[in-house]
Amino acid sequence: MLPGMILVALVGGLIILPFFTPSGRDSAAKGAALLVSSVVFLLSLCMAFQFDWSAGPTTDHPYQLTIAWDWIHRFGVSLGFGVDAVSVWLILLTTFLFPLAILGSFGDDLRGRAKEFYVWLLVLQAALIGVFAATDVILFYTFFELTLVPLFFLIGIYGSGNRRYAAMKFFVFTLAGSIFTFIAIVYVAWFNAQQTGVWTFYVPQLIEAARALADVSVVVPMGVLGWLPLVPAEIHTSAQHLVLAGLFCGFAVKVPLFPVHTWLPLAHTEAPTAGSVILAGVLLKLGSYGLFRFAVPMAPVAVVDWAPFVAVICIIGILYTALICWVQGDLKKLVAYSSVSHMGFCVLGLFALNMAGVGGSVMYMINHGLSTGALFLCVGMVYNRYHTRDMSQMGGFGRKLPVWSTFFVFFCLASVGLPGLNGFVGEFLTIFGAFTATNVLGIGYAAFAAFGLILGAIYILYMVGRVVMGPLNEPVHEHGDDDEEHHEIKDLNAREIACLVPLAIACLVLGLYPTPLLRSLEGTIEHVTAGTTAVVQARAETENTTVITTTDQPTMGPQRTLAEVSR
Amino acid sequence: MLNMAPWIPTLPFLSMFVCGAMFACKSQAIRNATAWVAAAAVAGSFLCSVMVVKGFVDAGSPAAGVTVPYFEWINIGDFHANFSFLIDGLTCVMLMVVTGIGTLITLYAAGYMSGDSGYGRFFAYISLFIFAMSCLVLGDNLLLLFLGWEGVGVASYLLIGFYYRKPSAVAAAKKAFIVNRIGDFGFALGLMGTFVLFGSIAYSDVIPAAHALDVSSLTGWRADLAWWIPFLLMMGAFGKSAQLPLHVWLPDAMEGPTPVSALIHAATMVTAGVYMIARLINVFNMNPTALAFIAAVGGMTALFAATIALCQYDLKRVWAYSTLSQLGYMFLGVGVMATTGAVFHLFTHAFFKALLFLTAGSVMHAMAGQLDLRKMSGLFSKMPVTAILMLMGCLALAGVPFTAGFYSKDIILTEALIKAPVLGWIGIFTALLTAFYTFRLWFRVFLGETKYEMGHEHHGYPVEHDLDDHAHGPHEMPWWPMNAPLVVLAIGAIAAGFACHGWMEGMIHNSTAAVASHGDAEHHHSVHTFVSIVAGGGALVMIALAALFHWKRRDLTEKIANAFSPVVTLLYNKYYIDECYNVLVRGVLNMIAWMSYIVDRVLVDGVLIDVVIGRTPRFVAHVGRMFQRGRLQGYGLTMGLGLAIVLFIMVWKVMAG
Repeated sequence: MLPGMILVALVGGLIILPFFTPSGRDSAAKGAALLVSSVVFLLSLCMAFQFDWSAGPTTDHPYQLTIAWDWIHRFGVSLGFGVDAVSVWLILLTTFLFPLAILGSFGDDLRGRAKEFYVWLLVLQAALIGVFAATDVILFYTFFELTLVPLFFLIGIYGSGNRRYAAMKFFVFTLAGSIFTFIAIVYVAWFNAQQTGVWTFYVPQLIEAARALADVSVVVPMGVLGWLPLVPAEIHTSAQHLVLAGLFCGFAVKVPLFPVHTWLPLAHTEAPTAGSVILAGVLLKLGSYGLFRFAVPMAPVAVVDWAPFVAVICIIGILYTALICWVQGDLKKLVAYSSVSHMGFCVLGLFALNMAGVGGSVMYMINHGLSTGALFLCVGMVYNRYHTRDMSQMGGFGRKLPVWSTFFVFFCLASVGLPGLNGFVGEFLTIFGAFTATNVLGIGYAAFAAFGLILGAIYILYMVGRVVMGPLNEPVHEHGDDDEEHHEIKDLNAREIACLVPLAIACLVLGLYPTPLLRSLEGTIEHVTAGTTAVVQARAETENTTVITTTDQPTMGPQRTLAEVSR
Repeated sequence: MLNMAPWIPTLPFLSMFVCGAMFACKSQAIRNATAWVAAAAVAGSFLCSVMVVKGFVDAGSPAAGVTVPYFEWINIGDFHANFSFLIDGLTCVMLMVVTGIGTLITLYAAGYMSGDSGYGRFFAYISLFIFAMSCLVLGDNLLLLFLGWEGVGVASYLLIGFYYRKPSAVAAAKKAFIVNRIGDFGFALGLMGTFVLFGSIAYSDVIPAAHALDVSSLTGWRADLAWWIPFLLMMGAFGKSAQLPLHVWLPDAMEGPTPVSALIHAATMVTAGVYMIARLINVFNMNPTALAFIAAVGGMTALFAATIALCQYDLKRVWAYSTLSQLGYMFLGVGVMATTGAVFHLFTHAFFKALLFLTAGSVMHAMAGQLDLRKMSGLFSKMPVTAILMLMGCLALAGVPFTAGFYSKDIILTEALIKAPVLGWIGIFTALLTAFYTFRLWFRVFLGETKYEMGHEHHGYPVEHDLDDHAHGPHEMPWWPMNAPLVVLAIGAIAAGFACHGWMEGMIHNSTAAVASHGDAEHHHSVHTFVSIVAGGGALVMIALAALFHWKRRDLTEKIANAFSPVVTLLYNKYYIDECYNVLVRGVLNMIAWMSYIVDRVLVDGVLIDVVIGRTPRFVAHVGRMFQRGRLQGYGLTMGLGLAIVLFIMVWKVMAG
């Protein structure tokens, strides 16, 4: 089932579209792409039905619907696929968004190269499903990097003004980050091979191996950097911390976290609508998914140590980018920056390391995909009409485009975290998780993050006030080379409405009845955070015991106990 | 009967979508029918509420209330927040207010809004509001309260910005939502703190636990939390109920259509803060400092807003500041733990303030948008029915003996005088001011020489075409569905006090909002008599004074106003608080935002990413290239340098060692 979905998307993209649709007729390519992505969506629904929701992952059976073939036998690399509840939901998000993004792109200007556009989109879909379904790290990494290629071309060819620079920056940025991830993974695999004598890249096995790295102490000479003030000449740490540092580099760029977020506003602004939808909707989640899937279980001690530090970065990102949103003049850039702010909540919840926080984080990934994806679609629809994204030229669209305005306000409210719509559930749970994680984060972190709620309201209402409300102000459109001069700007057509309605329904349903989704995540979250939970508990206990028995056992350092427990 | 409770929010929820869909239709007839859909839904909610109240009373009015489950909402780990409803005395009172007044005002709006281009949209928003508000009062846990809380906030945002082409309306809507969000920030944190302290956010767990909690036994962060939770929750209440210093949004909210001002910004939504504190009075009681603070802020707001109301010329703004002032009374009431009095005042205030706003709407409608007190006078002969109806509301607001406002205000003032005499006296003084500004308005509008200037607005926007039938002069509301609700409200404004006094006492005393009162009954009684005489008699005196200054001798008023012009200007400009906020909060924050953006472009993206990280590989390559130029001199130089360094280190070592 899992490789089947990837195969369908790949066959659709690489065989049907190039060879079996008549060239020169865009509509055939469009139809074929929509059909293929819809088939994939249906397949993913079948997968969701096959999936046994009641059975949580166990150490023996961490995944369901597993299937594996040998790939590189010498190093134990396999083509292994399997899913747990979190990846099922993310695959569903992916397959749900793709047909809508494709449908939404029918009105876009594809520069006469529609077929190629949809080829890249379908390849991207295959790669994204692959990322969520891979159980082998090398396979994961392959798909992870493969996503860059189609997006590079989607932005570079079909983007607007500054597209080449944006595409390049996006590519180099994420590639550079993920190289560290790769090194970390290979190191863990090497360590595992040393310990067991067998090479493997099977994720649960590597998780097992990486946990032992907490006891391996390493000294990192800081070299030239040691000359800088406040930087020690060498750092004594455990190998697990280094593994986390490597993983974090790659995933933080993808999320993106402050201060490595600067590729995102650029890439989003320049990308075509469908590209932005997928970029915001799914691609950013690869970062948080990677942290969830690899960082948290592999390096529990290091994650607990680093959680406050990561949380601070997240909070800086939340507040700082929310403020930046407020002074944007470009509609799309505003939504793009808001993504950075939102993903800060997502990672904050993840590093709260408790059920509510991590559950909220996963929920946030899905919700952000839906509401921000929808906002990008809305922005694209306005762009197709007026060929500008400059908010100073817009105003009072409520009168001109009432249907569009209704949807736009609705998704804005979802994005700002209105209770009853989907955004709230994730936002509340992530802050709540940080608040209640008294041994990891605590009230101060939650208070600062919650301040983002106010700033979120400010920039979203600024945008709505500018675009939807106020006296009618329509951009002057330049139709120098267009034959459709002086055509009347019309409200959304049936295709565009069909594109937004499923998203709106999903937002409402997940906002009012998220319990089934949240409950289905519990088992997986418990399994993934088992390591960190043990560390946190042990740390809390040692704190208690050291308070009571400081005089009795002065030599018993807390660090040692932790390492033992985490194994 | 109690199982009808889920229908109370569900009916308006469905009506919201139906109205929206009907509004999207092209046919004018279908669009006009939206009012009836909404009115039917809200009336249906009211009927369900009546049945629920009856069911509750039949069940013997259990003090702990009855829980009616609906469906699961957010459940993960040990966190539970469901759509389930708690029916107790307090909820019953609030339900009657929300759905009852809601029905009346929806009916009124069906006529008032006719001819507006956003007719269907208006009723979709009203349905959303009733849905959220009924969730707010029905919810059995803090998160559902929060859902209603933010939901009514959005409804209020959409309705204040209903005339969205007017920039002032857009600004007012934005302001309302953002100021409310500041309060909600505290509310959300308080909610989370409650969970950490009690392990649940359901009232049925939290309220008894808070009652039983011995705060002095707590240590460490738990003690801090118990101290902070009331303050955090209080922030939410201050935002929603527009108490100092978060009051700035409410006067501006009058940009919305008048029925909205009556329903949301006078009768129901703004009292949510009072409801919250009354509901959680046991939780607030964990920190007596917080309660004292609430009482003090309530008293200050009451006085502060009453002084501003003295000098405003906009009809609706006078009522807006009056609402602020009355809300201040309610906060004073809950602050001194007179929850019965506060909720009773909430109940009576809903009647007379809704009446006052709707009659103001009638005047506005008749005068084509004219709201300036200076431009109307002696309208009694033109619209006698409206004048008499408004008079009944004014009497209740002024607290004239035996009207509704008199009874409820007295309970609050009595408790305040006993528990916090200074605040009690501030309250009494404010009551006198209230009587004066109320009748200042009424005498100015309806009595004296008949003289008026028509406005130029129709439904929020300036009239572009020829003035139609609205413009030939002040006239009564022509349509019975608009007048009938006014009559009902007027009866309520006069009679709700003595008619519901006993019922209210029983209801609230029999609810989770009751905290055992330790007052001495005898002492109570004498103070109560004293307050009745001072406040009731004082009100009559002040009405007489208002008659003198604003009916008979308006010239005298002018002179006095001129003599005290700095004070008048200060009051007219609302103590310049908006201006201060604009500069200190909005301006500073905006500056930080711009700085962040510049930092992001120049420092983070420019220096850190592009130069430090982006250029490092290139720099390394450059350095490497220097050594690979293929020039012999270069290699020789490097070799020599290297040798020199090695020699230097060797010599150094020898010397040191």
